[in-house]
Order: sequence, then C-alpha cells, then structure tokens
Amino acid sequence: MTRNAEAALLAAAAIVAAMGVALVNFATGAGLDAQVALTFLVFGVSFGSIHMALRRWAPEGNPYLFPIAAFLSAIGFTEIYRLDAGLASIQRWSLLLAGAVTTAVLLFLRDEGVVVLRRYRYLFLATAVLLLLLPLLPETWALHGAEVNGSRLWVRLELPMGNRALSFQPGEIAKVLLTIFLASYLADRHVAMAQTDRRIGRIRLPEPRQLGPLLIAAGASFAVLIYQRDLGASLLLFTLFLAMVYVATGRAAYLVTGAALIAAGGYFAHRAFDHVQRRVFAWLHPFDDFADSGYQIVQSMFAMGSGSLTGSGLGLGRPDLIPAASTDFIFASVAEEMGFAGSIAVLVAYALLVAAGLGIAIRSRDVFRKFLAAGLTIVIAVQAILILGGVLRLLPVTGITLPFMSYGGSSLLANMVLVALLVRASHGERT
Amino acid sequence: MNRPIRVLAMGIFSVFALLVAAVTYHQVIVGPEYRDDPRNVRVATGITGRERGTIITADGVVVAVSEADPNDPLSFRRQYPEEALYGHTVGYSTLLFGNHGVEAFRSDDLVSNRDATISGVIAALLGGDVRPKGLRLTIEHNLQTAAREALGDQRGAIVALDPETGAVLAMVSTPDFDPNSLVGAAAAAAGDSLTDDPGEPLLNRATEALYPPGSTFKVITSSAAFESGVASTGTAFPNPVELELPGSTATISNFNGQACGPGAEVPLSTAFINSCNTIFGMLGMEVGAEQLVGTAESYGFNSEIPFELGSTASSIPPAASFEVDEPGVAQSAIGQRDVRATPLQMALAAAAVANNGEIMVPYLVDEVFNAEGVVEESAEPVVWLRATTPSAADALADLMEGVVTSGTGRRASVPGIRVAGKTGTAEVPDASPHAWFIGFGPVAAGPEDPQIALAVVVESGGDAGEAATGGTVAAPIAQTVFQEFFGLGQEDG
Repeated sequence: MTRNAEAALLAAAAIVAAMGVALVNFATGAGLDAQVALTFLVFGVSFGSIHMALRRWAPEGNPYLFPIAAFLSAIGFTEIYRLDAGLASIQRWSLLLAGAVTTAVLLFLRDEGVVVLRRYRYLFLATAVLLLLLPLLPETWALHGAEVNGSRLWVRLELPMGNRALSFQPGEIAKVLLTIFLASYLADRHVAMAQTDRRIGRIRLPEPRQLGPLLIAAGASFAVLIYQRDLGASLLLFTLFLAMVYVATGRAAYLVTGAALIAAGGYFAHRAFDHVQRRVFAWLHPFDDFADSGYQIVQSMFAMGSGSLTGSGLGLGRPDLIPAASTDFIFASVAEEMGFAGSIAVLVAYALLVAAGLGIAIRSRDVFRKFLAAGLTIVIAVQAILILGGVLRLLPVTGITLPFMSYGGSSLLANMVLVALLVRASHGERT
Repeated sequence: MNRPIRVLAMGIFSVFALLVAAVTYHQVIVGPEYRDDPRNVRVATGITGRERGTIITADGVVVAVSEADPNDPLSFRRQYPEEALYGHTVGYSTLLFGNHGVEAFRSDDLVSNRDATISGVIAALLGGDVRPKGLRLTIEHNLQTAAREALGDQRGAIVALDPETGAVLAMVSTPDFDPNSLVGAAAAAAGDSLTDDPGEPLLNRATEALYPPGSTFKVITSSAAFESGVASTGTAFPNPVELELPGSTATISNFNGQACGPGAEVPLSTAFINSCNTIFGMLGMEVGAEQLVGTAESYGFNSEIPFELGSTASSIPPAASFEVDEPGVAQSAIGQRDVRATPLQMALAAAAVANNGEIMVPYLVDEVFNAEGVVEESAEPVVWLRATTPSAADALADLMEGVVTSGTGRRASVPGIRVAGKTGTAEVPDASPHAWFIGFGPVAAGPEDPQIALAVVVESGGDAGEAATGGTVAAPIAQTVFQEFFGLGQEDG
C-alpha cells in the first residue's frame, strides 16, 4: 500500500532532521543531547499525525508530496538549528502547529474532499483581502501591522500577558485562500473566458468583461506592492493570477498581456521606489557597493563559492555572515555547509514536488480540482523560483520565504496546508 | 484542457534547469574565485573553521595553537606564537594555501573528529574522544633559537639531529617567513610576495636545496677508501702543488695554492685534516668510480630520505658515466663537478660516523598526545641505512676530530667537549663559494651521553662573500650550536 511507502519516507525525513541536529552538535562539541531526540519527536508527531489523517481520510492520495515537504523541512530545520538554536526551538513549535492545523484541515475535508471549498469562494476572497490589508492597521492597536526591512507585511498581536507579541505574515495564508478562490471562479467562467471573436490580425483578444477580474487582480497586486512594499508577494500573486487564467483558458494572450504588465510594473516600481532601485542595482553590480546594498548578495555568493562540491560540513562554515541567512537566504546557507551536492538535492526535491503537483492537475477530471491542483503547485513553484532566482542572481532579490525551508511559522503552516489540499485533491481521482 | 498545464510544466522545468546551471556556476565554476576573494571574511580572518591540535617543542614551547573566534565559537584561527622560527618545519594550515609542513603530514592527528565524517560520528556515538590531538616535536626550542640567530640574515640552512635516534633537534632555513602572515587579513598579498621573493623564503633549504658539498664529501671519499682497503689513515701520498688530471688540461689545486704541507709525501690523515684537494683527487681515482658512487649511495645519495617533511634526493652521477671521464672521478671525490647534496643529507653523513656507521630515519614528531595530555603514540627510532663499517666510522671519527683540534675546523671547537667535523668550501661558477661545516660531538660518547650531529651551509659565503671558507664562516656557526647543545651557551658566543 502506498501509504506504507509514505510512512517509511516520512520516518527517513525525521531521521535526516535528527541526524542533521546531531552533526551540528558534534561540530559545536555539544554531542548527543535532548535536541536530537526532541527534533525527531517533533517531526514524528507533526508528520505522523498528518500521515494518520491521510490513512483515514485520503488513503489513495499521492504518497510522495508530504515526504518531499518533510525532507525539505528537515534540511531547512537543520540549517536553522545550526544558525540559531533559539529560532530552531520556535520552528519546532511551528512544525507542531502546522501539523495540527493540517490534520484539522484534512478532518474538515474528510467527507466531500476539496470540492467543498468551491462553495465558500467569496468567503475566501474576502478573508484573503482582509488578511492582505491587516498589516496596514495602525501601531497603536493591539492587532497591528509592523514593518520589517522596509516591507510592511507583518501583523503583530500584542498579548495581554506581559510584553509578548504573536506575529504572523497574513500574505502566506492569503495566497492559499486566493488560489482556492481563483480555482473556483475560473471553474465557473473558463468556458466563457476562452470564447471570443475579437481579433487584431491573428491575435484573438479577450473580452473586456472577462478581462475584468484579471485587471482587478493586477490592481490588487500592485496595491499590495505600493502599500506594503512587498515585491515578492505581489509578484507571486500576480504570476499566480496569470498562470491560472492561462490554465483555464489556454490563451497565450493572457500570458503576453501579463508579462507586459509585469514589465511595466517593474519599470514603474524601479522608478518610484528607492528600495526597488537599490535591489536592482545590487543585483546587477553587487561588488560596486560591496559594503552596503551589495553586501547580502555578495556574502551569499561567497558562501556558495566556499561551499564548493561537498560543502564545509554542518556547523563548520560561516553562513552566519549572510544577512537573513535563516529566512530568505537559507538556500545559500545550505549551499555553503552541504555544498553543491546539497544544493542539487534541494532543487531536485522542488522539481519533484512541482512534477507531482502538476501531475495531479493533469489527471484530475473535475475542473475545480484541476485548477486548484495547478494553482497550488504554481504557488510553490513560483515562490521557490522567485527566491532561488534571487539568491542565485538570476533575478533581483525579492524578499520571500523558500517554502518549507525558511524559518517562519506562517510560511510553514500555509505550505503544509497547501500540500494537504493537493494530496486530498488527488485522492478522489484514483477511485 | 491539459495543454496549458503541460506548457506551464515545461516552462517551470526550464527555469529549474536554469537554477541548476546557476548553482553550478556559483559553486563549481566561479566558486574557487569567491572562496579566495580577499573580501571573503572566511579567507580574510584566516578562520579555517576547524579546531586543530596544539604543537609544542621537545621542551614544551607552544609553536602552533588554534584559538576560538570570540564572535563564533565554532570557528578557529590558527596561530604560530614563535612566528618565523618554525615556518619551514611546523609549516602552516590555511584556507588559502592549504597545509604545509608538520601541519600537512600530521593533519590526521591534528584535526578534530568533531565533524560530519562517518568515523567521527561513530566515534562520538561510542563515546570516543573526538577532540584534536597534540604533537610534541623533537626540536629543542633553545637550540632552534640559537641556530637561527647564528645564521643571522645570511642565506643558508642548519640541520641538527641525534645520531643515535634520528630525532631532529634543530632545523633552520633562511630567509624564513612568518606563517601568521598567511592566515592574516592580507594573506593573499603576503602569499604573492613570498612566492615572488627572489630569496625564496618558502623554500626549506635544509631539505630541498641542493648544493655542491665540496670538501665535506671527503668524509664519503675516505669512507670508500677505508671500506675497499685502497688506503688507511696512515697511507702516504705524493704531494704535488697541482694535480694534473689524465686526458685533460684541467688541474686540481689546494685552497691556498700550495702543496699539502712540507715534505714530498703526506699521510692521508694530514690531507684530510688540512682538506687537500690534490691528494683527495688522487685518492678518488684510486678508489674508482664504482666504489665511490657505491659508498655515496650507501650514505643515501640518489635516494629520497624517508623524512616526514619530504626532501630532495642528493645526487652523484652513475659510475658508468665516469668510464670515459677520469677527471670527473677526481672532481667528484672532492665534492665538486655534478655532486649535489642537501644539508639534511650531509648531516646524516656526519651522524653515520657518530653512530658506528648506521643512519637512522630522521623524524620531527616525538609524541602524539590526546586532549588530556596523555601520550598515545611515541616515535620509535628506525635504522635507514648502514652507511659504512664500524671500523671505517671509527677511523673517520678520529680524522674529523683532528679537523677540529688542529685543522680547518678549529673554529668549531668547544672547550671540554670532543667535537669532530669537516669543513667545505664549495666552488660555484660566477658566485661566491658556499661555506659548509658538518660534524658531531662528543666523539666516543657513552651510551647515556647526549650526542648531536649537524650540518651548516651558508649560501654564497654569506656576509663574507668571496673570502668565505667553511672554516671561517660555517664552523663558528656550528660552534654556537654545539655550545648551546652542551649547555655552554653564552651571550657573546
């Protein structure tokens, strides 16, 4: 039974995480301590409960998606632990929370599967928009937005007890909700949207009325960009809209129009925002402003170069020199300490994840499921490509997390739920 | 309806292929460039990222130690507290230039096993000690310091070792370099300037430089004569002012241009003590190429010395090449022509005489100790070669003692100690001669007496230039080293 393979692979991922922690401990001289067992336990409990939920409620679901996610989480967690043991213990709580929420989502979908979500599309849209607007709440409120590194994409909830605050990135949750909304909306409208008689020469133009949602989506993305200065999230959302509309209509015109809008938006952003200008400059000429704007990208290049083929070994490199080493630049940290071999393993894991996700979309006969599976996979793919492209200097750096690997609870939670939806979507089609 | 998904899949996988290409570019293609970039802190601070064991001298002076980076306890910086003094022997361990010297050949002991290697993990799981081990060298710090000071800013080398065990007591090569400069902030620039320096400070002259051994080679020529029975110390030789070489216009004359002392005939002992080239030229031809080359090879010529630091083989051409070149035999017998030797080789020749004709394998590391200071491994002396017979060695010891008491090596004498030696002034075309002294002491040491054998070379005569001889330039340096070894070191000596 395929679920047995899943169980074995998940156990292997938990061992990878525990062994990674053990290796870091050997390098620091800490030796075997409670961290190793605790890590194994947390991976076991979190992915174990998801696995049990899948056995019960989606036994025919794809058995490889969660193991790949668990493997990436294990690699990322090891590197987070190496960089900052304090962050790692928070990340362990996030893993437990993500495991619980994902199990709850599977429980909620147990009878009808993902199709139940189709009914609540406007609720999801409203929630997503609300979440995206949350960071704009004034600082004086208990629930308020917060600016980190020039981008306003955080929400903080000041807790009554003591000076504690709970922060999260609502954009991460919003991306999943928006994908469900789009899949549902497009499942109803894709036939109408694909039919049109307007042409200029050989190019068939979409009906303006059908183009509406696309323009609204573009507008919303740029609004997010302008108010929150979150380049990565806005690019992700906009690319998601474009790709899903393309999947639904098969019209390359949407892609071309969208690409033109991205180019125009990029140009506008470059002219309007200092921080965008700095990032583009740092991308093109990292060494010219080595000490300032180019610092992060140069440190990342040094880290990857120093890692070479097999890496410095866990705990034996200096990834701590890279700003944001445990979040946006986690890939460079892994590249330094696990080398080219580790980098390629990570890239292959993402490629497998995308391949499995798109495979589910292709095999789905139900249109909503097809669009949902395609959309969710596109989210993972685009997000990975945006930040990996930034780290590897194919693109300017856009602050966005690397799915499963970066430190951050909101991101981990959202991506785990996302994979759960994919697996649940694949369950119904196998019967 | 699946076509757009397939198109997207192709697009996404194309981008992933680009990502793989980019990773390959950054980590494999230009990786080494980034790794060595002086702005890369990993290089600039010399942090190797690994803890390495401490290296101490025989008398406990720390010569290499790893210190934790105060900002990152996982990273260590290698330091060499004695700076240039041990640059050629202890060497260095750097990110930019790799490992060298003891740091290289004993790296397995020195590295921490606290790492990701399978053996390290297994050892740690089994509760083994994964901390790096330390090394105790055979070098005596005071002797090393005295030897280095005696050479001053002249180019050259000194090798001193215990003839009974092969333990290296001092090894100096000048000009030298500070290994700390290769791990410091300006490591790349320092490395370039050391490599480009015409004085070749990175070269360990003691083991790698080949010099004509000059008259110090007469020890081997005499050895060949004694072993073959061609001559003994009392054998009398004719005493010309100049030796005409057969089938050639070339001649061999003595250093002062005179005959070898008064009288028409002189015994071999007198010729050895006064280093007469004329008579050793004759002796060489009488011994013959076959025997001369054979004896030289039994002293270690034409073989690589099995020394941990590695060394260049000293050389003498094969006997066959002298068949039509008798003058070549005469010239080789006085350590000229194509005979070339490293200072280490000549120190071993002196050690052979001191040790009844046996040469021990030279070594630098006496003990390996664990992090608790408990000795885990001690060097075992091993015989390398039987260079000559005990009786020949005895006869040579007498001759060499004569050199120091009444011959060319008087300036190496140490009051109260029976020192033996042989000087050499090796002629080189278009340059000042190299000044040599090889020797040992005390002669006829009891089994408990500490003994030392050494070789001193001052390249191109050093400060004395053209006027340099082994007796005036190298012998006094040897004297300083002997004095220090026998506890007679003086501030003015």
